[in-house]
Amino acid sequence: MDVNETPDLSDDEKKLFEDLMPEDLDEILDTGVNRRHFLKLVTLAGGGILAAQSAVAEQLFTRPLNVPAAAELSSATIENGVNVSLNVNGAARKLLVDSRMTLLDTLRERLELTGSKKGCDHGQCGACTVIVDGQRVLSCLTLAASCEGKSVKTIEGLAKGTVLHPMQEAFLKHDGFQCGFCTPGQICSAVALMDEAKRGDASYVTEDVRKKTAPVQLSTEEIRERMSGNLCRCGAYPNIVAAIQEVHSGKPVEQTFRFSA
Amino acid sequence: MQDKNKLTGTPISRIDGIAKVTGKATYSTDFPVKNLAYAVLFKSTIAAGTIRTIDTTAAEKAPGVLAVITHTNAPKLNVNGGIRGGALLQSPEIEFYGQHIGLVVAETFEQARHATHLINVTYDKKEPKADFEKLAKDATLPKDKEKADAKRGDVKAALRDAEFKVEEVYETPIEHHHPLEPHATIAEWNGDRVTLYNSSQIVNGAQSAAANTLNIKPEQVRIITPYIGGGFGSKGGQWANLVLTAVAAKQVNRPVKLALTRQQMVNSVGLRQRNHQKVSLAATKDGKLTALAHEITTHGAIKEEFVEPCGDCSKVMYAVPNSLITYRAVPMNVILPTYTRGPGKSTGSFALESAMDELAYALKMDPIELRIKNEPERDPSNGKPWSSRKAVDCLQVGAKAFGWEKRKAEPRQNQQGNYLVGYGVASGTYPAHQRPTSAIVRLKRTANDVMATVELAAADLGTGTYTILTQTAADALGLPLRNVKVVIGDSDLPPAAGSVGSVGASSYANAVNDACQKITDELLTRSGKQFFARPTASQLMMSEKLTDFQTRIDAKPLESAEDYSAHSFNANFAEVAVNRFTGMVRVNRFLAVTGAGTILNPKTARSQIIGGNIWGIGMALTEESVLDPRWGNFVTRSFADYHVPANLDIGNMEAIFIREDDQKANTLGVKGIGEVGIVGVAAAVANAIFNATGKRVRELPITPDKLL
Amino acid sequence: MRPFTYSRANDPASATKELAGNPNARFLAGGTNLIDLMKEDVERPSAIVDISGLRLTEIKPIAAGSAKGGLSIGGLGKNTDAANHPLIRQNYPLLTQAILAGASGQIRNMATNGGNLLQRTRCPYFYEVAMPCNKREPGSGCGALEGVNRLHAIFGASEKCVAVYPSDMAIALAALDAVVKVKNAGGQERSIPFADFHRLPGDTPERDTNLAHGELITAIDLPPNKFAGKSYYLKVRDRASYAFALISVAAGLEMDRSDGSGTKIVQARIAMGGVAHKPWRALKAEQFLAGKEATVENFKRAADAEMVDAKPLEHNKFKVELGSRSIVLALQMAMNGGKA
Repeated sequence: MDVNETPDLSDDEKKLFEDLMPEDLDEILDTGVNRRHFLKLVTLAGGGILAAQSAVAEQLFTRPLNVPAAAELSSATIENGVNVSLNVNGAARKLLVDSRMTLLDTLRERLELTGSKKGCDHGQCGACTVIVDGQRVLSCLTLAASCEGKSVKTIEGLAKGTVLHPMQEAFLKHDGFQCGFCTPGQICSAVALMDEAKRGDASYVTEDVRKKTAPVQLSTEEIRERMSGNLCRCGAYPNIVAAIQEVHSGKPVEQTFRFSA
Repeated sequence: MQDKNKLTGTPISRIDGIAKVTGKATYSTDFPVKNLAYAVLFKSTIAAGTIRTIDTTAAEKAPGVLAVITHTNAPKLNVNGGIRGGALLQSPEIEFYGQHIGLVVAETFEQARHATHLINVTYDKKEPKADFEKLAKDATLPKDKEKADAKRGDVKAALRDAEFKVEEVYETPIEHHHPLEPHATIAEWNGDRVTLYNSSQIVNGAQSAAANTLNIKPEQVRIITPYIGGGFGSKGGQWANLVLTAVAAKQVNRPVKLALTRQQMVNSVGLRQRNHQKVSLAATKDGKLTALAHEITTHGAIKEEFVEPCGDCSKVMYAVPNSLITYRAVPMNVILPTYTRGPGKSTGSFALESAMDELAYALKMDPIELRIKNEPERDPSNGKPWSSRKAVDCLQVGAKAFGWEKRKAEPRQNQQGNYLVGYGVASGTYPAHQRPTSAIVRLKRTANDVMATVELAAADLGTGTYTILTQTAADALGLPLRNVKVVIGDSDLPPAAGSVGSVGASSYANAVNDACQKITDELLTRSGKQFFARPTASQLMMSEKLTDFQTRIDAKPLESAEDYSAHSFNANFAEVAVNRFTGMVRVNRFLAVTGAGTILNPKTARSQIIGGNIWGIGMALTEESVLDPRWGNFVTRSFADYHVPANLDIGNMEAIFIREDDQKANTLGVKGIGEVGIVGVAAAVANAIFNATGKRVRELPITPDKLL
Repeated sequence: MRPFTYSRANDPASATKELAGNPNARFLAGGTNLIDLMKEDVERPSAIVDISGLRLTEIKPIAAGSAKGGLSIGGLGKNTDAANHPLIRQNYPLLTQAILAGASGQIRNMATNGGNLLQRTRCPYFYEVAMPCNKREPGSGCGALEGVNRLHAIFGASEKCVAVYPSDMAIALAALDAVVKVKNAGGQERSIPFADFHRLPGDTPERDTNLAHGELITAIDLPPNKFAGKSYYLKVRDRASYAFALISVAAGLEMDRSDGSGTKIVQARIAMGGVAHKPWRALKAEQFLAGKEATVENFKRAADAEMVDAKPLEHNKFKVELGSRSIVLALQMAMNGGKA
């Protein structure tokens, strides 16, 4: 891939990328204390750069972002059909759905938006989390029929072209996933959580719910509680919390892997 | 030691990360296959007996239904073809509750699911064997030779004469893997060849099992599995749902998608079995172990045996002259148990390392000191030298980093408000093996740009395979990361080891490294030139003005590796806070120190270790699959009932890697980290709970009721 | 999920009318429990009337009547909005904590206040249709009575059913003496005191509540209280979050002085979750505490007074001791100003 094609890289960044490994890497890894260099390093290894360095990523982002037509089903196969018009990731969609069809299955099976995942189909894992009219909800427990006039944002609608949403960048940088299956739900949940914090919403671990302040600065404990509706079986929770904390606070959050001689 | 100029050993973000954070990573059911039909399985509601009648008339007449397949009309399959757990619709016999007894294929998922509710089944029911507590007394020696009684010295005499001893029983429940992605398949036939989009930790294993069971040739089956939504052992061996999807697709002459429901996961894709473990330790008053007996009673399925090796840690952890490890197993009407993260070692270490903590307490000795005192110079089970062993380093580094000196030796000495706080430690180990793996490297030059493609039928289930292989190939070829493309997860690629048993990283990375060295050698030979410094493959492509060049390697483990005992080791440190009113436990801090050879990518490696730790915390505190012995059904069949840890369950997690250069294990010194991260964790938590509360809980999980 | 017709209601009158005409029709509000149960084939409605668009979402002060000075919360308002409403946070923090102790952020964004009261039990024998369950299929037996019953009732159970009611919100509402306002197809309204809303199983465990078919929960009225500064919702569970309660306790203490310096209890409110087929008001404990000093010793004696009547099953004996400890802890936390 020609580096000039990469819009996100400044000349300085290109230079840094060429010297990806600073001389003092070992020292950094051994002590875990050289924070400035360390952050530089992990930032370099983070999302924006990765888009340029990875052949896999290149393929992903050269795939046209077309909006496929809703998968056609003969009306004979649709029972108790309900006409629904909704907005998905900024595009108006109109389709006839079986009254039993969930929003999750509609996204996945009819609209070719397979980013939202079916982890349990019963509202017990959060992998299907999408943002409807600004609120995070579970698409597996939402009937598509009930989405008339609603606006749905899925994981596919977060990035602007090849520019990732800050939450996506932060998940990449902090390795907020392993298998990646819960990730779309985690990220949608986290994105909506940022608005809940701005509103000053409380949680079960909020020390004094009678004190209402908006926005509210979330502690790691608050983030943990508020993200507990998204299970991650790989156990990426600390990384997820770090990613969210970084976006929420606007300040870099350190990673703590260390080597010992 | 990590080379400063190398990409391996550096914390590169996941190559597959962008696909995952944008929702574009294609898991099994995400492939845009056209003209799909949908299949839904239905299951037995008895655990033992036979199907007398099965009436599918109403289901067949239901709107949209294309086919109903049961044992009465299923094609003949090879039940010994390598699919685990039976349930292939080949007979009316029922061996466990929730055995597949059929599937409906319909135009839509909603129609198929609905039609499964219209099936009427009658059974001739037999009394199920589902009560382990009652069956355990009938357990017998397993057929597996690895599980034969292993005796050294005279344990009985040593226990009789012991100055100090611990003899206790430790219980662990049935657990389920519950990867977030339920097992699912899309099957698409093209003539006599079938493509199976199916999450597979062992790509070639899935291919051969599917082919053998379907009575076709392996080359007629293609497994595609670029992304796997977690597996933890359950997607290692393959289960009936894979083959039944292919059967359904053939039957309706259309591509078919079949996904297990979360509830179906509990009796479709294996489990970690219930273990009853008696550990007996004898020691001198200065803490030298004189005997270690680890006697395990467990169960298999009703006709098939699987016994996880709970005694493995006890074989290798400590120097002890008298040792006994035994296994007994009894058949039960449950789905076949299978490999589950840290098989045997995770559960076995709970017993062994809890007992070591009990012994240390009896001796009034620091538990770290006790372990160090019994450090073996060679592998006590076979006398082989260690390829490298960092168990003591892990303990010492961890103690310092964790602040172990702040631990009170006596329990209940650290109260903070409503909480009792305690510290616990436990060691762990997991063997390191490399398995044969083939790989192809293709180089393509355009002007001064050389692109490499590395191909092998490896798997990445969140383990970081894409990333570490990109790093390995980039280093070995002298290319930047962006010029390397790794293609895996496809059985049409050169055959590779599975991503199981912590062999993935070492097998794949060594094969890719070997392939890259080979292609460089071949280019050198072709150039006929002599160089002072070995040029890179990339430089040779340019100097030789080649546009395309490729090679293939069939990499094998080092023969000399057999001369050594190669293991990863760790030390786990837990700080818990126990609510003194409610018994709710919180792991405030956890530290795992791991010596696992070369760490190819500390970022993904740390995630793997922490992930294993969190599995271990789940094992310690929340996870349990409960059977009702009257019916043999699991009453914990959803995520609301089976508690995998949630975000709030997890406190501050820290991982430290011990630098370890172990080239006796394999060329790159990579020992694997997927399993070792869970080993010793439950014991560290249980030991911390004892230190906090004075209560020794020997039965997992340690739920609030056990601490009242 | 069985086939069903779907319709969107435009107003409460048409919604209740539509339901009244079909005994097998169900309202759909948040859907977080109904859709779940339909997928399990436990609920099998032939018609769904979607009431999620009805504007019964307002939270407003009550100006007249017995609950004057209290707050009325709309039956179709979302749990999240109720928990975070400034007046509820200030005057009913117990309700805020209880709502936030339940489920997850996503579910609370979907679930409605009225729907929350209608949650069905999480008993695994109820959920798995192949198992006997008198609640799901009257006369089929109770799988839990002699089965796995660690999570089941210790108060008010019957031979027919030992299930517990899973809501957290409703436990606080019980302690708050809330009133459920309902409307039927004939346009008649009635008010159901919270204690009468849910039922004990008796011989008819299939009936969770005293709501008649087709009655719509329009609002939940919260009378004013004098313990907003001394209340706490404690939830004990097998996992730190996103799990149903083993035991929960909603506690409120009205003290002899309103400035926080009081030491004597005028009135205590204690309701328990995870112990019965309905929110369990710990009346004996409340009675004991009235007029007593707020001491740990008195809390313990109050808890014992309540728990002495518990009738545990084979696997849930721990709930008696845990219940007692939880009452004590919840009261202590309430005395401490309800701080988490």
